[in-house]
Amino acid sequence: MKNNRLTIAAQAVKSNRQLMAGCIGVLALLVLMIAAPLISTEDPTIYGPDVLNGLGENGHILGTNHLGQDVYSMIIYGVRTSVKVAVISAMISGILGVLIGGAAGFLGGKVDVIISEIINVFMMLPTFFLILLIVALFGNSLTNVMIVIGITTWPGNAKLMRAQALSLRERVFVKSAEAMGETKRQILFKYIIPNGIFPVIANTTLGMANAILTEAGLSFLGLGDPSIISWGQMIYAGKQYITSAWWICAFSGIAIIIAVLIFYMLGDGLNKVMDPRYNKRRA
Amino acid sequence: MKEILRVEDLNVTYQTKSKSIYAVRNAAFTINQGDSMGVVGESGSGKSTLAMAVLRLHDEKYTEITGRAVFDEDRDLISMSQTDMDELRWKEISVVFQRAMNSLSPVHRIRQQVEDIYRIHEPKASREEIRERMISLLKLVNLPERVYDLYPHEMSGGMLQRTAIAISLLHNPKLIVFDEATTALDVVTQGQILKEIVEMEKTLNMTRIMITHDMSVVAESCNKIAVMYAGELLETGMVKDIFKKPCHPYTQGLIKSFPALKGGHHGKLTSIPGNLPDLSVSCKGCIFADRCDRAEKKCFEEKPSYKAMQNGRNVACHFAEEM
Amino acid sequence: MKRFICRRLITGILTIFIVFVLNFLLIQAAPGSPVTTLMGKENHDPEIRAMLEEKYGFDKPVIVQLGRQLEMLFHGDLGDSIIQNRPVGEMIAEKLGPTIVLGLTSALLALIIGTLLGVMAARKEGKPVDMVVSGTQYVFSAMPQFWLGLMLIILFSSNLDIFPSYGMTDARADHTGINYVIDVLYHMCLPAITLTLTLIPQYFKIAKSSVLQVTNEEFIQTFKAAGMPVKQIFRKYILRNAILPTVTIFGISMAYLLTGVMLIEIVFAWPGMGRLMMTAINQRDYPTLIGINLIMAISVAVVMLLVDIIYAKLDPRIRYE
Repeated sequence: MKNNRLTIAAQAVKSNRQLMAGCIGVLALLVLMIAAPLISTEDPTIYGPDVLNGLGENGHILGTNHLGQDVYSMIIYGVRTSVKVAVISAMISGILGVLIGGAAGFLGGKVDVIISEIINVFMMLPTFFLILLIVALFGNSLTNVMIVIGITTWPGNAKLMRAQALSLRERVFVKSAEAMGETKRQILFKYIIPNGIFPVIANTTLGMANAILTEAGLSFLGLGDPSIISWGQMIYAGKQYITSAWWICAFSGIAIIIAVLIFYMLGDGLNKVMDPRYNKRRA
Repeated sequence: MKEILRVEDLNVTYQTKSKSIYAVRNAAFTINQGDSMGVVGESGSGKSTLAMAVLRLHDEKYTEITGRAVFDEDRDLISMSQTDMDELRWKEISVVFQRAMNSLSPVHRIRQQVEDIYRIHEPKASREEIRERMISLLKLVNLPERVYDLYPHEMSGGMLQRTAIAISLLHNPKLIVFDEATTALDVVTQGQILKEIVEMEKTLNMTRIMITHDMSVVAESCNKIAVMYAGELLETGMVKDIFKKPCHPYTQGLIKSFPALKGGHHGKLTSIPGNLPDLSVSCKGCIFADRCDRAEKKCFEEKPSYKAMQNGRNVACHFAEEM
Repeated sequence: MKRFICRRLITGILTIFIVFVLNFLLIQAAPGSPVTTLMGKENHDPEIRAMLEEKYGFDKPVIVQLGRQLEMLFHGDLGDSIIQNRPVGEMIAEKLGPTIVLGLTSALLALIIGTLLGVMAARKEGKPVDMVVSGTQYVFSAMPQFWLGLMLIILFSSNLDIFPSYGMTDARADHTGINYVIDVLYHMCLPAITLTLTLIPQYFKIAKSSVLQVTNEEFIQTFKAAGMPVKQIFRKYILRNAILPTVTIFGISMAYLLTGVMLIEIVFAWPGMGRLMMTAINQRDYPTLIGINLIMAISVAVVMLLVDIIYAKLDPRIRYE
């Protein structure tokens, strides 16, 4: 059974180039995270003597910033921050979305009406400003940023999960579980969530990309965590030197684009592979 | 009697990346003026493919068509250029599609769509002229005038189907193809519309092809029938002959498996066991042999040729005479 | 139709109310007392403290405080910035103009260009043109807006010296009349290009996929069967049906647009609300941030309501639902 699922997954990855590229990209990001000390040329937290060096100057592949930190090494270490923000905030958002949306769709009635309206309202909210306000009020540690992104983006996931639960609860296997006297909670966790979670997974992956962009935006406003290295903060700090040392901003931005693209491809690829029309079209 | 459409040795092949699917093979039949021919078959039997090929509405990138379809005694629809074909469309051949709900644009009024369709061949026609024409056709299908100014979503399925029929009649075409045109309707509405079509034909002298999977539709509204199975026409002829004494085992099965609408007793309702064969491999013997309960060795080895019987009937079975 | 608008109106008002309550709760929950939060950390003036306590009724129960603030909102009072010593509403009103000019221009440009590109890509689906355009759009959709702004500054201001990178007008020249307008447009080039480029992908994506979808609808077959020229089918029927979703995206993307405008304004020192926000963040001027947050929510709600009404006018199917 397990083996069978793995082969199906492998075939799916092979069948879609976007998904394949996304998977390879994620693997590459993981390697960069783990092997950062080996791949980077310097310790990026050290303020060296070479200030605002250009490309290749004094052995700094991508130059240095105004404090003498090596840009290339900073970018390599920045992967850790971005991936951490992406994964943790998207996980929070995904779990909240699945639980709330699943409960709304499965239980129905008044619970559903209220939760649906909350979801509608949240979908209309300009969340970035809310996130910004919270971070400004409660402090800009990375943990805060991750939690805030997570708890402001769950409605999208909840909407998907709710739709899944609505259709699943009419299915025979759920009905028969009900008839056999399993409790609502058991049914929710044993049948509804495991069978309906796939679209949420794809959406969560896209959420990871958006989390990276949100973190970068916050950092650019000076609301990043000052104790860590992040691409957004590199741009924030490099902004003042934009005319004299363009490389600080340029390469950290490219790093953001690549990381975001990887998660986009993964998410879009997953969505396509899971679309029932996809396999038919290929046949 | 004047010939309206004569199909000869028509083959339709779909090309996919990995294989060719022989969707229609060696189809042949003739329709005379005033005829109404039902093409029946299970879903996937190639009956719609056949119609789309004759209408030249297939996807040209992936489809290959050989053979002839002679329209009005002198023009071959298959080899004709698209421009020439466009000249014929709606003026001489029109079509009514399966789901009327989706066969008109949802964001335009019927009026706008009718005007546009009418003006394809009569660019100078005035609004009043088109309105008058369409309203007379709406009356013919028992619809009130006000339908002309509605949006599709403001009508019921039956009304829409009638509207689609009225639109197909705009230029008084010689031939109309109904592609499963009544399938999506409830039985009562379907019955009414079929009756109206038959009535209409008497006054308009039109010729019709009826693509359907429903034997009762053929029984109620056609005089000719072509039974299609896995891309091949197994039996063609007059409805009254074939319903009285089907000569192909498949036709026999089909007639046994539909309940008689008008009380006639056909014995026990049965179904034909088995599934359609794989259309991507060519078949040496009779295409129906796998599912035929009378199949003999010969049936698997040798393809039966059409046996001509009385009244223009053709049967593709080795044992047609014995049935 | 009336019922439809009413329902949307209620959701809109509910959204604004929820933002309001969230703001209120955040101030309550923030570290330190609400009064200190509103006053700013450096300020210890007992007079101002007494004035704030009186105005907001901080000695009263929480629910009374909420009611009092709601009443203030009804009178158009968004509170006062103690740091700037001015009403927040007034500060925002001053900066609203430049933000709307920049945002609206870019959004309309992006809507037009994105839709055209999307339609074109759909017609050439699978061909090299489509692949190049779609690929480019994909990359642009992954781009932080502020970063693109910085890169354009490097290219067009620092190196090529074509466009100004800073402000809305030339401070040294004191233009009036038509010259003033031209000067503003000239200064708006880079920020507007940046914003437009990052907004295009959404419209592109939706326009392309909806054209592709409508092309496969059954009614297209009817017109083909009637012998209507492909061009006419496309112009009149595919486009009319496919354009509708782009209109809804215009509403949905409103929040994204506002975020973009604010960040881009900071990059180009455009004297709009983005600058106001940046200063407020740096000074931890919470009343101003809360006011901005509320104004954003209100504008999104209003625009979405408008878009819904326009959509209902364009799509005959909505009216009777």
